[in-house]
Amino acid sequence: MAIELDGTTAEVLNRDPLVIKNLKNWHHIHSYGGWGQFFTALLDKKLMATRCTNPECEEKRLWLPPRCECPDCWHEMEWVEAPQVGTILTHSTVLYPGAPFRATIPCPLISVELEGVCTKLMSYLKEGKPEIGMPVKAVFNTEKPTNTILDLAWVPA
Amino acid sequence: MIKFGPGNLRIPRFEKPVYVVAGGLTDYRKRYPEKNSSQLCTEALRMAVEENDLKVSPEEFRRMVNWVVYSQFADHFGDQLLAASKIHDYIGFDPLGNIEVKTGGATGGSSVLAAAQAVASGYATCVPVVGWERMDEVPTKVGNAYIASAACKDFESELGWMYAAYYALMAQRYQHENKVPRETLAKIACKNYEHACYSPYSQNPGHYTVEQVLENDMVADPLSFLECCVMSVGAAVLILADEETAYRMTDNPMKLTAICGGTHTLRTADRRNMPILLLPNETEDTYKDYFTEERSEWPGFSSFLAARMAAYLAYNMAGVADPIEDFDLLETHDAFTISDVQTYEDIGLRPYGRGREFIDSGDAYMDGRLPTNPSGGLIGTMHAVGATGIFQLVEVLWQMQNKWDHFHAEPERWARYGKTKPEDFRSLQVPNVKRACAISHAGTGSHVTCSIMEKP
Ligand SMILES: [Zn+2]
Repeated sequence: MAIELDGTTAEVLNRDPLVIKNLKNWHHIHSYGGWGQFFTALLDKKLMATRCTNPECEEKRLWLPPRCECPDCWHEMEWVEAPQVGTILTHSTVLYPGAPFRATIPCPLISVELEGVCTKLMSYLKEGKPEIGMPVKAVFNTEKPTNTILDLAWVPA
Repeated sequence: MIKFGPGNLRIPRFEKPVYVVAGGLTDYRKRYPEKNSSQLCTEALRMAVEENDLKVSPEEFRRMVNWVVYSQFADHFGDQLLAASKIHDYIGFDPLGNIEVKTGGATGGSSVLAAAQAVASGYATCVPVVGWERMDEVPTKVGNAYIASAACKDFESELGWMYAAYYALMAQRYQHENKVPRETLAKIACKNYEHACYSPYSQNPGHYTVEQVLENDMVADPLSFLECCVMSVGAAVLILADEETAYRMTDNPMKLTAICGGTHTLRTADRRNMPILLLPNETEDTYKDYFTEERSEWPGFSSFLAARMAAYLAYNMAGVADPIEDFDLLETHDAFTISDVQTYEDIGLRPYGRGREFIDSGDAYMDGRLPTNPSGGLIGTMHAVGATGIFQLVEVLWQMQNKWDHFHAEPERWARYGKTKPEDFRSLQVPNVKRACAISHAGTGSHVTCSIMEKP
């Protein structure tokens, strides 16, 4: 019995030198693991951070993005709700995003400073013009969630 | 905050001296369908072995190699896992041992570090470092997404799929704190584009005015198109050896007196503040007036701790007291104009907050105190990521061997790449380079290496 090909072809983009188009079309199964609660909590309009449970640990502040283990002492972290009002540490506006980007452009990215949090979460400003020092409050995309970090955004407070 | 213990800041040491023997390049192009990655690596290797006046024949060289380091940033760009294995076979080193190194944009620097470690420990005596990148298989928007998949996929990549925007967050903050005139930033781009005009290898040469750079469109505010590096296809090779082997191969090898690496969190967001790690040319006094209400944090978003770590270790390892005084040539990883200014501070060319003075004073120019990026850098010449850190050191080697003209000025080299040597060509050979430095850097400063090459 002769072997048959499935009939698909690779488009030839150039003959000399020969250049063909390889098609790729598949999904990745992305596991959030222990960070999943952060994304699930966004659906309840909660901003969840983590804190080290080791009383000896010098880092008493919250981590956001959350971590499962403390990077300073490897102790377990506990989930703690983070403040939903903060200020803009810095910003930049995305005009030419990479291919998979799912929001409209221009899209202002912001780094948000939150009281009691040791990190400066990267997010985006859903409304208004970003300025350093500007107070902002969290808003949540719960209607048609992307189940990604895009479900959290900020607006002027 | 990481609290440094006695082991954390130990100054690295080579058990045996490490020498740089020869280097080779390809030209760099946005698209290179004429040659596959194996061909590009072979071409760069052949230039290193056949065009550097070595005292050994190519056949003798092949019998001397005992370890090979490969340098490629992104498997998904080339769409070939273990491409190094394939290239290792195609360039004729099978079945010798090899290793492939990956540290993002600093992959080239880290690969040379791995090769130096092999030579310094006595594990190997002759080690080619082969770097390349093939970034032309996907459209630019997909290319940007591929690069951004080197950001945190859980908490950051979705926010733009665009590394320039992540650098721009740092740039915006740096500008808020330090207010560098855009003219100064534009001057960096103009300088490197111009240097690229005199390189037959360059992808993106041009004579630009400051006004032209100021007027071009923004990629991500405050970074404009002309202030960002290129995406390239091409390869670079550097050959390292121990002392005995080096002098068997050439009469004027250069000594790699230090090459050290530092890191910082992949997400800029996670960078906690700490006291400034001081370089040999700084004291507590240097920063007594640095911190203000606006500028209250270090490294914050304005500085690359990884670059500071790498410079701290390398300067102490090589006995560099003051980089401006002690170096005669510098190659930086000028991925963006502002990140270049930030780097000037991290490596101590000026104290933090005053990086712009390195440009404004004229220090960085060919006739200045520390000519910087005569190669044309990443903005003007190339950023075929896995090749980049190697390319920098190849250019440094040629400068130190007084071979810059040999590799850039001969009309045949231009013709080799289908180019004509420009009529306004000028030599960028820096006279009498005794000690040079190169900085290899990965996305928002997650990995940085600092290399110091010296005349033995
Ligand atoms: Zn802890």
